[in-house]
Amino acid sequence: MTKLTVLHPTGLPPKVTGRGLAPPLEALAGKTVFLVDVGFENSDTFMTELQGWFRQHEPNVRTNVVRWRNQHAPDPDLCNRIRAEGDAAILGVGT
Amino acid sequence: MPAVAVHADVFSRLVDSVVRVNGMPRARRAYVPTPVMGKAPAELRSYIEGQDPVHGRPFMAELTDALTRPVDQADLRGVELDRSAPRLVDADTEDNLLRLFEENRWTDYLPIVLPTEERVEAMMAGTSRGRDEMVGSLRPTHYREAWQFTVEKVAVNAVMAGARPEYLPVILALASSGFSARISSTSSMAAMAVVNGPIRNEIGMNAGLGALGPYSHANATIGRAYGLLSQNLQGGSVLGETYMGCQGNSYAYNSLTFAENEEGSPWRPYHERHGFALGESAVTSFQVWGNVWTEGLRATWEEKVVAMLAAMEPFLGTVLLLDPLVARRFVDLGLETAEDLTAWVHEHARIPARLYWEQYTSKNFVREDADLGVEPFATYASAAPDDMLPVFQPEKIQVVVVGGSSNAQWSAFMGGPLDSRFRNNPDDPPTVSVDAWR
Repeated sequence: MTKLTVLHPTGLPPKVTGRGLAPPLEALAGKTVFLVDVGFENSDTFMTELQGWFRQHEPNVRTNVVRWRNQHAPDPDLCNRIRAEGDAAILGVGT
Repeated sequence: MPAVAVHADVFSRLVDSVVRVNGMPRARRAYVPTPVMGKAPAELRSYIEGQDPVHGRPFMAELTDALTRPVDQADLRGVELDRSAPRLVDADTEDNLLRLFEENRWTDYLPIVLPTEERVEAMMAGTSRGRDEMVGSLRPTHYREAWQFTVEKVAVNAVMAGARPEYLPVILALASSGFSARISSTSSMAAMAVVNGPIRNEIGMNAGLGALGPYSHANATIGRAYGLLSQNLQGGSVLGETYMGCQGNSYAYNSLTFAENEEGSPWRPYHERHGFALGESAVTSFQVWGNVWTEGLRATWEEKVVAMLAAMEPFLGTVLLLDPLVARRFVDLGLETAEDLTAWVHEHARIPARLYWEQYTSKNFVREDADLGVEPFATYASAAPDDMLPVFQPEKIQVVVVGGSSNAQWSAFMGGPLDSRFRNNPDDPPTVSVDAWR
């Protein structure tokens, strides 16, 4: 049967460069963990409940609930604060 | 510093995909059940004390282990991806190629025209631009990587959609806009493309009877090309990865593409009201969710208009599509310009503050502006529950005249130009030149 040559319909993807994970902590005990409410509906309540869980079950982990300023853009001020004052961050949650 | 993200489980495939295209073999993440919105604090606590539905372990164990679990060298280094695609697909029979295109999700599952070199060459006759010129970039959401594309790549998708060469300037303009017709939002919007200027009549676009229906080759295939080029040139529109629309939207089959009925309108054309000269041709890309239909402007028209708009989401806006009979009736009622109608809707279509702030997009996006002190939303945030607030700010109200006057039909679509925070580039204008691509 006749073979056809056709053009490829997809676009031109950017080259992806590697981005590594930060090293883990040895343990959470004695550390400060920022709980970041990213601004979706109910994510503030979720982070408050998560803080309640830590206080009840892991009281030696300090937690601090904070709000990401604009869920669709970087928040350098908050990131700088977390780097300066914290040891780890938990972010969430949408839908 | 280690960070872990909590996601709803419906996004697990999407998360894997986004992690990969950001150069990471893995990312720290934990999952809770879907949905999170609308759940009481006790229910969210039960999520926290329950299982991670993706990893099958207790959620808190998964969450805390993510911060303390050892990682390997690949995790620390990241991974590079080179996904360049060849210009040509391997030669094969027509049946096999059609199957390949469908299996690779390069189609909308309707029959396509295979983009042979001869057909693409013929399509290129529709523009003076070179085949290797870069047109722009698209992406399914603002948090994914943008893919670029050439004039030839757009022509390939135009061929697949069944378009004719003379339509190519409109299709290139849509491709250049930066607005995808395959945006991945859980809310299932579709694109609407409105063409203005001389090009409408030059290529036989329909602005009259049945303009929004399957009754014009140009309307049908330009709109279909806009959808196909969006999914293929942005790197896909794949369920669960690059498309998350809950129910989907059948408007997406031809991106609601039509011409404005400039000849029947008593008002300045849409593109002229948005920075173009009368003799220029332009196309506007809106995003829409659905519409409410009505007929005529009767004695109770003011109540009717308010009722039609009151249930819409303030953040998303409205596009009012008016048959010329309706536009002229508005003029008879004293709204002499489209801007007058916009001002009237802003002033009179109001809802109580308690409803305004209970809408999904008000909670998620308008509240964000209010918290940042953006007016008038900061003032709206302090309104008493029964204070009446405008449903839409003036810039969220669009007016387009279309229809064949067999009926004084008009409809209000929920939607409008995509909000700048979701655009490929925040400064991209929703109305772009067609003439630049002739």
